[in-house]
Amino acid sequence: MTDQVLPTALRYPWRVPLPHSRRGRTLVAIRVAALLALIAIAAATPGFFTAVSLFSLLNTTSFIGCVAVGMTFITLSGNIMSFALSVTLSTSGIVFMAVLPWGLPIAFLVALAFGAGLTGIQGVAVGYFRANPVIVSMAALALITGGATLITQGQGVYPQGDAAAALKGRLLGIPMPLAAFILTVVLAQIVLSFTRFGRQLYMVGSNWRAALAAGLDPARIVLGAYIVAGLCTALAGILMAARYSSGDLELGLGYDYSAISAVLVGGTAISGGEGSAIRSLVGAFLIAVCQVLLLLHGFSTQIQYLAIGVIVLFVIMLQTLADAD
Amino acid sequence: MLALVANRSVRPYLLLVIIAVALWIFDRGRGQFFTTATAFSVLQQFATIGPIALGLGLSMIIREFDLSVGGMLSLSGCIAVLTGAHYPALGVALAVLCGLVWGAFQGTMMVWLRLGSIGVTLGGLLTLGGLAYVVTGNLSISYPRMDVALAVNNPVLHVFSLRSLVALAAFLAAAFFMARTRAGRDVYATGSDRRAAMVAGVRTAAILPAVFACSGMLAALGGALLSYSLAAASGVALTDALVPATASAIIGGVSLTGGKGTPIGIVGGVLVLCLLSAGLNAIGTPPAVQDVVTGGVLLAVAIADAVDLDPRLFAMRRYWAEMFVRPAESVRSADTSAAE
Repeated sequence: MTDQVLPTALRYPWRVPLPHSRRGRTLVAIRVAALLALIAIAAATPGFFTAVSLFSLLNTTSFIGCVAVGMTFITLSGNIMSFALSVTLSTSGIVFMAVLPWGLPIAFLVALAFGAGLTGIQGVAVGYFRANPVIVSMAALALITGGATLITQGQGVYPQGDAAAALKGRLLGIPMPLAAFILTVVLAQIVLSFTRFGRQLYMVGSNWRAALAAGLDPARIVLGAYIVAGLCTALAGILMAARYSSGDLELGLGYDYSAISAVLVGGTAISGGEGSAIRSLVGAFLIAVCQVLLLLHGFSTQIQYLAIGVIVLFVIMLQTLADAD
Repeated sequence: MLALVANRSVRPYLLLVIIAVALWIFDRGRGQFFTTATAFSVLQQFATIGPIALGLGLSMIIREFDLSVGGMLSLSGCIAVLTGAHYPALGVALAVLCGLVWGAFQGTMMVWLRLGSIGVTLGGLLTLGGLAYVVTGNLSISYPRMDVALAVNNPVLHVFSLRSLVALAAFLAAAFFMARTRAGRDVYATGSDRRAAMVAGVRTAAILPAVFACSGMLAALGGALLSYSLAAASGVALTDALVPATASAIIGGVSLTGGKGTPIGIVGGVLVLCLLSAGLNAIGTPPAVQDVVTGGVLLAVAIADAVDLDPRLFAMRRYWAEMFVRPAESVRSADTSAAE
């Protein structure tokens, strides 16, 4: 009886689930080789394991990581990426700072609802009308940027006092952003692996029509994915605003690209239906490791930009191997 | 008359006339809008957005999307500024060559590895952006030849400049190519139904790299001339040009579902956007209003072109009828349709 209830991975945890096709196994081999090479380079780099601990590395990636977890849901649902998460982050931060005089919990909830609302509207367009997700996110980018600039007159929001101090502290000795990031990853992974919504999301992402034929409501699930993305992004926005004690439109500049890079480097398929939140955590971490390694070897910032671009391009090209089954 | 409105390539020009009339009414004899200066500034903006919009539009006509144009715009500007100090033409040529090679590479990868264009060009965008930072050393570099900068921007025939004339020439060449050559027909065939085109003997595997090479070249040409005219280049760009270029291609009648739209229509789309921004500027609205207008248009078109729009609207109308209008009758009609 238990044999049938427990999934294979839990019954035989020592068995690594390898893909059945040859090309799929090649992909796994390349990924493992790349990881080993990275570890070897890290081990050969003086000062990597001493000066930069895993912890502080993770710490630097926590903001991007939160957005990447949100982006993962959009990518998994088969809608590639959103260009509007960066402005969602900035505007959620602004809203948080603007509502802060009414108290921290209210500001926190209002900012989260605001972020979820912004992406939720895009989710309706993409899910219910099946509009082109890339164009919708570009439209949202222009609309939100323009609207926010008009409302704030291009000024940042600097609250009096320090009501957000609680978000700048530590939780069980862990810096708040990192704690929030880890919590987000764990929650997201639980949602993806163990809830009905998560399993349905994978199905919609890998094949919309099959999901429809199986009696699911793909539109609602895509809307859910966008709302989750908005929640994660707003959380990052709140924490960033708290850290810098200001809400500003510049807050999330360039985060769309960092987030989708982390998602793709982690191994989530850009075509949707395959991937996980933990992979995005790994992806964000790997990018940070690469940046630190390049820095320790004396390469400049611009080389880091190029390296990330080349890695993302390479990873996308590798994904053709995964589609062979 | 109705046929004219229905023609996707004519629609942007009707919109253009409407905007022009609206501006004229708003102006009411002060003579602020309808000057050669306004026409010149509209065409200068056209020269900036036009080539990118054309390249993007071509990639949308074959039902793909070239995200990398933003990166190519900044990289080509840097290349032209760095190599064109002695021979400006050489700088432009090198930049365009770079666009050609990169576009062809991206297209070949898509065909060869059977990848979607958005993924590959996203990687391309990040790589090109990184390259632009590397070649400039993360600085804003200035172009020493002020004479070239002036020559590129100097008014020709009152309203044109060398830059806008080059952009217009590119559009004319593309329009001729798409309408009058067999390869142009093949591009449309590839966009409307790739499998059917392949079965009919179109070499779709060659069309894809060719279109992306064109897109890369056009972005590079626009970027090189833009950097000459600004006498400066830097690695910062990415999506700044992407949103207006996409919006103008879409206003110009290019369909997101592929196979529809013409270069002449895209000219109209770019002009609509440029005239709108010039007009809004002249009225004194903040630049953010233009963002809102562009975004609103993009969103409206995205929803109007959406796959499931009709069934959703139908379901909504029916729901409305069942709930509020004549409940008994609509329930009966629902029964008969279910019986069918």
